[in-house]
Amino acid sequence: MNNALKLAEPVRGQVDADGLLLSADPLLMRLHLRCGGKEGGPLAVPELAALCRLSRRLRMNLSRPVHASDDDSRIEMWVETRLASAERDQPLALSIIDWKEYSHDESDKADPARDRDFDRLEGRGAIRTDAALRIIAKQMPGKAARNFGAIGQSLIDIYDVIPPSAHAKLLEAVAERQPIRNQRMREKSGAQRLFVMQGEPLIDKAGLFAGYRFAAALDDPEPPVQDARQASGKLISDSLFGMQLGPALRQPLGKIIANAETISTKLEGPLRGDYASYAKDIASAGRHLLDLVNDLSDLEAIERPDFTVAGDDIDLVDLAHRAAGLLAVKAADHQIRLELPDKEQKMPASGEFRRSLQILVNLIGNAIRYSPDGSVISLSVSADQGFARISVSDQGSGIAQEDQERIFEKFERLGRSGDGGTGLGLFISRRLARAMGGSLTVESAADQGSTFTLSLPARKTP
Amino acid sequence: MDRTKQNDIIRRARAMADKASFVADDFAQALFPRTDVVFNDRMRSHALQYLRRAVSQIAQRICQIATRDLGVTHQLLLSIAEEGGDQSFALLQPSGLLNKPEIVQHLLVKTQQNELAARLLQKISQEDLESTLTRHLDHDDPAVAQAAMGLLVAQSRATGAAGAIEACLADLPPEIVYAIAWPATAALVRLSGSPGVRLQQAAERLLAEHDESAGVARKAERLAQLLEQTRTETNPVPHPMKDGLALFVARLARQSGLSSDQIVTFTAEPEMARFIIVLCAADYPVQEALSIYAALDSGDHILTAATYGELDRDRCVALVSGWAAPDAYQDAERTLSRDYLSEDRR
Repeated sequence: MNNALKLAEPVRGQVDADGLLLSADPLLMRLHLRCGGKEGGPLAVPELAALCRLSRRLRMNLSRPVHASDDDSRIEMWVETRLASAERDQPLALSIIDWKEYSHDESDKADPARDRDFDRLEGRGAIRTDAALRIIAKQMPGKAARNFGAIGQSLIDIYDVIPPSAHAKLLEAVAERQPIRNQRMREKSGAQRLFVMQGEPLIDKAGLFAGYRFAAALDDPEPPVQDARQASGKLISDSLFGMQLGPALRQPLGKIIANAETISTKLEGPLRGDYASYAKDIASAGRHLLDLVNDLSDLEAIERPDFTVAGDDIDLVDLAHRAAGLLAVKAADHQIRLELPDKEQKMPASGEFRRSLQILVNLIGNAIRYSPDGSVISLSVSADQGFARISVSDQGSGIAQEDQERIFEKFERLGRSGDGGTGLGLFISRRLARAMGGSLTVESAADQGSTFTLSLPARKTP
Repeated sequence: MDRTKQNDIIRRARAMADKASFVADDFAQALFPRTDVVFNDRMRSHALQYLRRAVSQIAQRICQIATRDLGVTHQLLLSIAEEGGDQSFALLQPSGLLNKPEIVQHLLVKTQQNELAARLLQKISQEDLESTLTRHLDHDDPAVAQAAMGLLVAQSRATGAAGAIEACLADLPPEIVYAIAWPATAALVRLSGSPGVRLQQAAERLLAEHDESAGVARKAERLAQLLEQTRTETNPVPHPMKDGLALFVARLARQSGLSSDQIVTFTAEPEMARFIIVLCAADYPVQEALSIYAALDSGDHILTAATYGELDRDRCVALVSGWAAPDAYQDAERTLSRDYLSEDRR
């Protein structure tokens, strides 16, 4: 949503030789105050103040676009400066002839990097194609991660369409620019792995169809050789969730959630209010169940003796921003502000990218869940004794001393229920942190908030 | 040898002795350019013509204010006020006072704009190009119509004869007027031998009366801002042959977060690589991007749909956002990375 104010009269203000805002029309004064300024204090809108300084230094009248931002919106202005006379001490007149506000939500929309982070977090791959289904970019999970040979080739030359969906049906969906749901496709060469693809049509700025963005989830993860051997002769293998139940449950659950969300948003037409509300409950319960399935798969994976993690070169500051980006909507729903370390800061560490992101998403998600609305969650980084650390601090009710070790135990909820948690997140996170050679600790006191700290081996920058 | 000639040679010899230490620098710069950007002789000639015109116009305006408003009666200043003249430029050019980064950068942008305009005129007539703006004159939003009219007027004032480059005082950015006005004033003081106070006052008045909003660049930016604000889904993607060069550059600059000068400079670089990245980052469809490239390129290179289509838009967006950072930051980052590199090698 944007708000273009049709200014009948320009918004005016006066700035003296020391940069103090002498007078301002209400709109400018509101912006000045929201930017931290005081009445009669220095002009607090940075770009506007810089324009005033330039105008005064050159002793020339300027006419330029200026951008400003407050907590609620981003503002575009067109500003003219007028020096009253050649006298240096005379105030500078500001005249804002155009004023347009954009809400921050609008600029957060459609961030492809955020979509990609979601895919990586969930272990999904992503394929982008042009309008003729030729592959433009491809990043797949696991062993197929780096396959640049596919670029430029048609999607259907690389993958076989697996029934029940037929080749023609896929092409029909593409021809009609329809989303593609749960399309199973198998690699024609190499490991011949099976993927489940979800495709969204892309529309470019001219309003024309520009191709598809597919999210690809592995449908038949390769079981480790050892597991396959152990499983022989058993009805159900040791890796019950990861290999069998997990994939089998995720697909129908995904369908249930998607359909329930479609019903609750009344996308297909009007619906009785209470029915829409039931659909919301179904979607919510479905998501909870899906979280549980994911956690159980992870639990099973990390308890396997051969569980290993990759030693990627990661940066904890970058991860903090990615994790915060993934949870931005959830935080905004509760008017919670996420304070992040400066993007320019670097905190290199060694650990698996996806698993480290998973831990941070879990920590920030917990902090949002157990913090009061309107509070602040702050993330900070530090390094000492060969470890890079990232801390997530909330302003929640805190954790009593005697409970601080219990929360890392399996299925421990400290008596809480109905908040969407599974009681496995912290257990899994700590195990993952240890598997990466690090640790996960908590410091807290009742009513004082909690600080969870993830430590990973520091990596020396080249 | 007559005495006048002898004096002349002595004067030149002294002048050369003062500058002898720069000869090797000038030669080195010609022999070992640090970039792959090619400046043809036409661009060099246009840059000097433009600078000469800019300095002359500023000097003339200062003389007009001094003689008409402040009562200065010096003969040379009266003559410059009436007829103009290159005296200030002749004095300033070899002095190095005009060799300031902001002036040189502006010259590059103006000459490249001239090149692009010439390339466009090989594909579309001047009349057709000018008529592109008239379609905005009937816009529903009166502010857009007014801005379009302002741009048309500013452009008609700034357009020189075909193939020539014209400098117009009203079109010069304030920073450039400021950078030229004070050396020009000092040159006028030296040339005329008159006291500097009046001429300084005249320069101050010139600066105070300069109206940045009247220039083509700002008019185009203003129209671009209004058009983007009123943008609808059916609005076509900006194109130099549909919007005219100034408006196209301003709209692309707005969409990419870069400045108009940066966009123009990118088109001067080899194969317009950075310009293509900007188009991709701004999500221009393939066909539009190819058409824009063809309209602005000198005809030496070809951009194919495959090359453009294979660009990773996320990477393009990241690159463009890096180029949108303040110059001082980008310079510092480059210097620091060089320092770290050299530390590694040690």
